[in-house]
Amino acid sequence: MTTFIYNDLHFKLEARDGSWDLGIERSGTTAYAGVGLFPGASSAEAETKAKALARTIFPVGVKCVGPDVAHPNTIGDLKIVGPDVAHPNFIYWNKDSVSCPRER
Amino acid sequence: MEIKGSVALVTGGGNGIGEAVVKHLAKQGAKVAVVDMAQKNIDRVVKDIKDMGGEAIGIQANVTSEADTARFIKGTLDAFGQLNIAVSCAGIIRDGTMLNLDKETGKVARKLGLDKWQAVIDTNLTGTFLTIRDAAEAMVNGGWPGLLVPISSVNKAGQVGQLNYSSAKVADALMPKIIIGEFLMRGIRNVRCVAIAPGYTATPMLTGMNQEALKTILEDVHLGRLIAPEEIADLISHAVQNEAINATTIEITGGLCYPNGIAK
Repeated sequence: MTTFIYNDLHFKLEARDGSWDLGIERSGTTAYAGVGLFPGASSAEAETKAKALARTIFPVGVKCVGPDVAHPNTIGDLKIVGPDVAHPNFIYWNKDSVSCPRER
Repeated sequence: MEIKGSVALVTGGGNGIGEAVVKHLAKQGAKVAVVDMAQKNIDRVVKDIKDMGGEAIGIQANVTSEADTARFIKGTLDAFGQLNIAVSCAGIIRDGTMLNLDKETGKVARKLGLDKWQAVIDTNLTGTFLTIRDAAEAMVNGGWPGLLVPISSVNKAGQVGQLNYSSAKVADALMPKIIIGEFLMRGIRNVRCVAIAPGYTATPMLTGMNQEALKTILEDVHLGRLIAPEEIADLISHAVQNEAINATTIEITGGLCYPNGIAK
């Protein structure tokens, strides 16, 4: 069995009947991204192919931040839920982000 | 085309008709890609296929996204090296009449919202287009024999309360004729297209509805019961294996009629 981490996901590659099952740990249990994969592949080949497959299936992207349901603005009975401005990934219009500074 | 050893991709493969199609094809030896919005459903279906000793991958994706479509096609090719069958089952309903009148004034009180219209067109028509287009591209570029299966509906005939859904499904039903005509023009001979138009089917959406209303619906079905998703899967399997079936839309309704007995 081989394990690897990609995109915050913990993968587990296991041999089964001459092919490979690619598991993912999700909430303490194992789900499967794929089963019966790469028949006849060696362990090293299967790992390379599994990593390529994981990159395709689970692309790295932008994670949405908020809404900040704990601090709604209220107008009468109406609750207006804004983004979580305290979150470190929140990007302000008038402030340069650390990861993406303004080009000069 | 042989099902055993072929590679099938099914959008909406996490429940209902899509799940039945995925499992039916996997049972017959196809390698299957389960594409769905709901990760929980994908995990369950892939696990079931594992337990039956089949080969499958699960890909969470939104069929209305061009990037997601490219991703699930590439994921299928990365996993299984080819693509032969693409079934576009992903679909939604957002029912409502175009106009609703105020009972007292007789004036229009409410209109069918653009959000309800657009969501259904995006998923049921644009989603089908993107899946079928990109699957066809992979099949043609790979030189693999293929079958494209848009899922239409018997409500392509026109169903009140479903202007959005019926409009999308009649367009889906037209796809095989246009696509195969274009393939003939372009010399593409090894990829076929057959749409399936199911009637009222025993999916969670229908079995969970008001049972009295369901009973009324079934009064107009000659068969006297809902279609089983497995019966639709069986028809798709038949279309895969019989290459004379092409450029058409096949209805599977159990004999759905309008009230007073004219077949719909």
